[in-house]
Amino acid sequence: GAWPRAAMEASELWVGFVGAGRMAGGLVRGLLQAGKVPASNILASAPSDKNLDAWRELGCRTTHCNLEVVHRSTLVFLATKPHILPGVLEEIRPAVGPHHIVVSLVAGVTIQTLQRLLPPWTKVLRIMPNLPCVVQAGAMVFSRGSNAGDEEAALLKSLLSSCGLCEEVPESYIDIHTGLSGSGVAYVYLFAEALAEGAVKMGMPGALASRIAAQTLLGAAKMLLETGEHPAKLRGDVCTPGGTTIYALHQLEKGALRATVMNAVEAATNRACDMAKD
Amino acid sequence: SVGFIGAGQLAFALARGFTAAGVLAAHKITASSPDTDLPTVSGLRKMGVNFTVSNKDTVKSSDVLFLAVKPPIIPFILEEVGPDIEARHIVVSCAAGVTISSIEKKLSTFCPTPKVIRCMTNTPVIVREGATVYATGTHADVEDGKLLEQLMASVGFCTEVEEDLIDAVTGLSGSGPAYAFTALDALADGGVKMGLPRRLAVRLGAQALLGAAKMLLESEQHPGQLKDNVCSPGGATIHALHFLESGGFRSLLINAVEASCIRTRELQHLADQEKISPAAIKKTLLDKVKLESPSLSVASASKVSLFTNKSKKN
Repeated sequence: GAWPRAAMEASELWVGFVGAGRMAGGLVRGLLQAGKVPASNILASAPSDKNLDAWRELGCRTTHCNLEVVHRSTLVFLATKPHILPGVLEEIRPAVGPHHIVVSLVAGVTIQTLQRLLPPWTKVLRIMPNLPCVVQAGAMVFSRGSNAGDEEAALLKSLLSSCGLCEEVPESYIDIHTGLSGSGVAYVYLFAEALAEGAVKMGMPGALASRIAAQTLLGAAKMLLETGEHPAKLRGDVCTPGGTTIYALHQLEKGALRATVMNAVEAATNRACDMAKD
Repeated sequence: SVGFIGAGQLAFALARGFTAAGVLAAHKITASSPDTDLPTVSGLRKMGVNFTVSNKDTVKSSDVLFLAVKPPIIPFILEEVGPDIEARHIVVSCAAGVTISSIEKKLSTFCPTPKVIRCMTNTPVIVREGATVYATGTHADVEDGKLLEQLMASVGFCTEVEEDLIDAVTGLSGSGPAYAFTALDALADGGVKMGLPRRLAVRLGAQALLGAAKMLLESEQHPGQLKDNVCSPGGATIHALHFLESGGFRSLLINAVEASCIRTRELQHLADQEKISPAAIKKTLLDKVKLESPSLSVASASKVSLFTNKSKKN
């Protein structure tokens, strides 16, 4: 039969999620927060009800049938685990039409692979979010496949900006984003933990130290984003001559913190590249 | 007219700088030293500077008197020329770690209100790119400071600071050229390793640092921003910087400045305690000291107390 007309207005957009895990949950919360897509227009599928309960609580519809998601949606998010995806694509392929916009959240699966496993005219985009999407403070980058145009990119960006920063990039940046921000969130958690531990050593109770550590990171990040100043300048602004901060920074430099962080980003990026090849 | 007690590297560099800047004619400069074999002595002579072995002569023919000797020698010099210091003299000490109060204390036995300025400069004054700070003593007027500032500004950057910052300045810009020379030597090695002839490597390395420093001085931007501007994504520079960071480059530089500053304070502390190790004094001078002050003894504990020889002058 004839394919449905492509719906580009957010309000008449039917959004589907194949896979309903944490990342998908974060994105859907953002979408709903943005108020652009009503919950009733959102359908998610998952093998078990474990994750789907939370979606129903949000007002979304749920199913155990991936094909149903594709039939009833225009914008389809693929949010399965990497090893599941090929099987899922084989399953849904017959139902995918030119009106669909397929957005993959699946780590390590390239646009080339996606396009290979889907019909040749499919509009494909690939997105790499990060965990804080779940609190609408995420950092996301996305790339277009060969058939995805400006309209699709603009739609995705406008829908997901409610989850945080959302930028289009060449696909080669996606692995770097993983190293910087996907995994980067964990580096921050490590740093926060270490800050708090330092405070505990100096006599502060742990719970208070942890809250202050988190707020410190939040505040510093907020200043960076809002002032647009170079981090080196902001760092200098905090360092009074001969004061506490410069003494502490000297310790960090002695520990080659900068190089270690660069190593971390490099290692995660390289790992992402290697995994994508598998 | 300007006089230098001491005719070593510092006197030479300053004399060269002042004359090249045209703020002072060579014949208005006098320099003195007991050691006429110093290579800088012939350099000063060639410049047209009046050279003498008599420190007293230098004092008599100067209005601005630079004490351009090593810190342990300062007390001897003050003892020697103190009687000739008059109210008109502006005594400028360039000795690292020697405090204004120690100089004033010593001179006040000879002159009630000695004008003392303490200064910390660096060797690039020789090419008129010096970095100088100064702090004025109790009896030095604003005009005295400004006069010195004018002189030193002709050979580079000069600004007034509180005396308690001078040790830090020593660590940073006093010793700084040595850090730069070390870096340049190593950069040149890197160039040579990758195939450049040594002379070209040195030339290019020096120009790179000169250019970078000039950019920074002329820019409003933070050095971190200027660094970013050079680092294209995935390019050569960022790869190189990663190596520097891995080696703790930044912390090494911080350590260096700190070490130099702390050592300066240590030496000052030793000087304040009026104890000095003989090794710090050149042999010729030590012999001279022994000759003139038989009551001074070089203790077997290897420390010499400088002021056991009480001056009979009042």
